[in-house]
Amino acid sequence: MKFVFFHLMPYPYLPDDFDERYASPSLDFPSKHFDPKLGNKLYHRYLDELEHAEKLGFDGIAVNEHHQTAYGLMPSPNIMAAALARRTSKAKVMVLGNAIGIRDHPLRVAEEIAMLDHLTDGRIVSGFVRGIGWEYYAHSINPTRSRDRFNEAHDLIVKAWTTDEVFEWVSPNYEFRYVNVWPRPLQDPHPPIYIPGAGSTETMRFCAEKRYTYMSVYAPTPVVKRWFDGYRAAANELGYEPDPEKLGLSIPVYVAETDEQAHAEGRQHIEWLYHKGLKQGIERVMPPGYTSLGSLRGMLSGRGKPPNEYSYEEIIEAGMAVVGGPDTVGERFEALVDELGFGQIIALMGVGDMPHYRTIKSMELFAGQVMPALRRRTPAAAAV
Amino acid sequence: MRTAGASRYAPAVSDATTIDGAAERLDVRGGSIQILRGGEGPPLLFLHAAGGAGAWLPFHGLLARRFEVIAPDHPGFGGSDDLPEIEAIDDLVYHYLDVLDRLGLERVDVVGGSLGGWIAAELAVHSPERIGRLALLGAAGLRVPGNMAADVFLRTPDQLVALLYKHPEAAAMPAEPDIDFILAVQRDMAATARYGWAPYLNDPKLERRLHRVSAPTLVLWADDDRVVPIEHGRLYAERIPDATLRIVEDCGHAMYFEQPEAFADAVIEFLEAGS
Repeated sequence: MKFVFFHLMPYPYLPDDFDERYASPSLDFPSKHFDPKLGNKLYHRYLDELEHAEKLGFDGIAVNEHHQTAYGLMPSPNIMAAALARRTSKAKVMVLGNAIGIRDHPLRVAEEIAMLDHLTDGRIVSGFVRGIGWEYYAHSINPTRSRDRFNEAHDLIVKAWTTDEVFEWVSPNYEFRYVNVWPRPLQDPHPPIYIPGAGSTETMRFCAEKRYTYMSVYAPTPVVKRWFDGYRAAANELGYEPDPEKLGLSIPVYVAETDEQAHAEGRQHIEWLYHKGLKQGIERVMPPGYTSLGSLRGMLSGRGKPPNEYSYEEIIEAGMAVVGGPDTVGERFEALVDELGFGQIIALMGVGDMPHYRTIKSMELFAGQVMPALRRRTPAAAAV
Repeated sequence: MRTAGASRYAPAVSDATTIDGAAERLDVRGGSIQILRGGEGPPLLFLHAAGGAGAWLPFHGLLARRFEVIAPDHPGFGGSDDLPEIEAIDDLVYHYLDVLDRLGLERVDVVGGSLGGWIAAELAVHSPERIGRLALLGAAGLRVPGNMAADVFLRTPDQLVALLYKHPEAAAMPAEPDIDFILAVQRDMAATARYGWAPYLNDPKLERRLHRVSAPTLVLWADDDRVVPIEHGRLYAERIPDATLRIVEDCGHAMYFEQPEAFADAVIEFLEAGS
């Protein structure tokens, strides 16, 4: 089992009337609510937490990209990765990921990740995401072209990393007459690629074909099981059994001394994440054409409610967060490993409006009392 | 007759006053489109708004008392195929030139609402000789800084109805829409996004090309249009050489859904003034 400490870097200081007044912390929640003095402290605190994770023995430290939102303060994840590159030496520095669907210049991503590969001496991991719906509003990128743009940008970036002669790139959404990325990445043939999935069979097949790591987004365990089973089935069809480490479970985690204490302390922060951070209607998350009608039909027929409508108890019950004392958290993960067959935990531990001291306590308990036993664990059965 | 969508958008107008329409298909490059057709008289090409594709509305039925109404669904809307090669407004113009050729319409009166008004204006700029008289109803298409069209995508269904109608309580929307209804609306919205996400429902070059429009033009606007502000109507009327601006009272951008008789009367009066 591998362990990744993932940060969203939320801005927790929402106004008292946030719930009544704003539809979401994303897209059009005005930046007057960002206090530069508080925000400045947050960046350093969150980077400290990521650096601390390496000292505690996490295998990876991860950042991601979001725009115009209090949900996460990293419009440029590559800048955060750069800030971590020379302050760390062992952990993988993971960008999960660059939102290449909304970038006009995918080559800039190829260049920056290649640079980061050198700054980290080959520790960079390159995730690619499409970008959430609201970011298509924010960047005026047509959501009906999202999937094509993502696919083309991915193909272009990988080709740019692996081709050492100048080439021309022409695809429906991009045209570059001279592709010649300097520097070439350090890792050969290129940094490992991670892709998050939320149920699309195209994505499962794509990841299985390329042998990329497939990571879940926050969803109930039975739903994640369908996704991971889909990935394994796609790999089996291609004639191989995937390494469990190619499956990453993303999940918010809070550990305290006892179960009782963990729930008493963790509850409000988990609720912040789901009820405030993820407060967003479908029109904001999935603008027209962002999702194919087939996938949309699947979602509507399944008719699971959106994450922000789960109560705290339902969140815990559904496996959308793991909260408890060290023993309970360990047992919960053992059960999840057996059920889902993943080999990588991508833990969100600075959850919502959690204060620094709690994040640190939770990280230390997790690293000291949960990770050692889990580390030796491999999935009992990854049967499809 | 494929008019199942009619009841989902529009208030009822007494059947006795409207003429029925029927659906037919027309093969085009890459697939086929649906055309609703009804009535007798001079041909009238009606280009629909972002909402209401695939439905023979009371408004159509009223126009069909005096005209042969030909109402195609745009690619990606209603009963028409996706035709993904049609990516943007210029493709739509060439698509409709093909449709006019296929239908043998050398010159025709064109009426367009909102998104369809934008297409109609572009068509009239491109091929002025193909247009007899032109009616632009709450037409999108112009870029007016400070008075941009309202965002129709970032709305819940309730918010959208409140935005579109002066009297939202009179809008006939299903209380518990089924999956097929939701998907049909999503498909129409996705096609709207395909053509109009960015630039948002406008063509920055359209304004300076409007001098090419030679057709006598009616610019017809609802007085409470909060989607495409009246400034767009004034600009159309100012830039098109032979244009008149008229306002329909007590109505929102839903226009001919909300006030079918008033819009039909104004359009018929204008078109018949040319005959």
